[in-house]
Amino acid sequence: MSSSLILRSTIPKSLASRSILGVRQAGSVSYKYVPGGPIYKGTANDPTPFPPSSRTHGSYHWAFERLLAAGLVPMTAAAFVTSGSPYPIIDGLLGISLIIHSHIGFDALLVDYVHPRKFPIMGPTLTWTLRATTVAVMVGVYQFNTNDIGLTELIAKVWTA
Amino acid sequence: MLATRAVGLGPSLRQTAFKPARAQALKNIVRTNFAKRMIQTERLKPEDAVNILNSQRLKRPSSPHFTIYQPQLTWIGSIFNRVTGVALSVLLYGFSLAYLFAPSTFDSEHVIEFVKGLPDAAKYAGKFVLALPFTFHGFNGLRHLAWDSGRFLTVKGAYSTGYAVIGATALSTIYFTVV
Repeated sequence: MSSSLILRSTIPKSLASRSILGVRQAGSVSYKYVPGGPIYKGTANDPTPFPPSSRTHGSYHWAFERLLAAGLVPMTAAAFVTSGSPYPIIDGLLGISLIIHSHIGFDALLVDYVHPRKFPIMGPTLTWTLRATTVAVMVGVYQFNTNDIGLTELIAKVWTA
Repeated sequence: MLATRAVGLGPSLRQTAFKPARAQALKNIVRTNFAKRMIQTERLKPEDAVNILNSQRLKRPSSPHFTIYQPQLTWIGSIFNRVTGVALSVLLYGFSLAYLFAPSTFDSEHVIEFVKGLPDAAKYAGKFVLALPFTFHGFNGLRHLAWDSGRFLTVKGAYSTGYAVIGATALSTIYFTVV
């Protein structure tokens, strides 16, 4: 007796599905989804979507960034104490580390202000532009350190010019 | 008959038995239509609920937030850290790209010659403008690394380290400007 009551009380699945009830997605006719804005995807009952979890973009990225930043301190001190040209390897390492540190910083700017979720075209475009620029800058710094006096000696000479 | 009376249908059964059915039905129709107030109702579909909600949401303003936050050492220091980092990186990237695309214009001799030719005031101003972001970003970076290792993660800690960073920045900027 009670089991039949329970069975009768559950709504059949076909009635509970959204298509039959006629509830529309927000992406239809008049109201376009605005990321971070007043128009949401789906209804108020839909769960928030989350990005996929990955250590490469998460904890490993974080650890690498902090280790690099910490390593910049002794590297800068060493480079300026030995003052560039006689020790080109220290100069080169400092150059590469500075560029990677700057790249991570610029990437953080893009993620904070021009996220692909809200800017589906600008976000990825700027990210790839940044990557190309970083590669070009690495080539430029390599050329400067090889064909010219190097970053640390340039700064030292300009400072005392 | 007995069953209907027991259930309570007696009066209605009597009514339909002793009044003509068609007049009764007409009376009911007239009464129900007159009983409605003269209002217009609009028939809506289920998806109209979402559309009305969205049209209202588009008209809603957002309250001031970023423009009214009281300036505090915490976030002023944080945004200044970012601004100095961006400025120094733009300088690094700009110079590297300039050297890559125009090496003869931007090689070290030209740059050093250019700086040598500047008046003394410009040299001191230039050193100040370069030393301040560099030292602030460096010391604030150390402050960030201290937080990352779990130290000074209190309000007092954030403020005391913040003032220490500002003091260290001032001293080292003066040192780098005059040396």
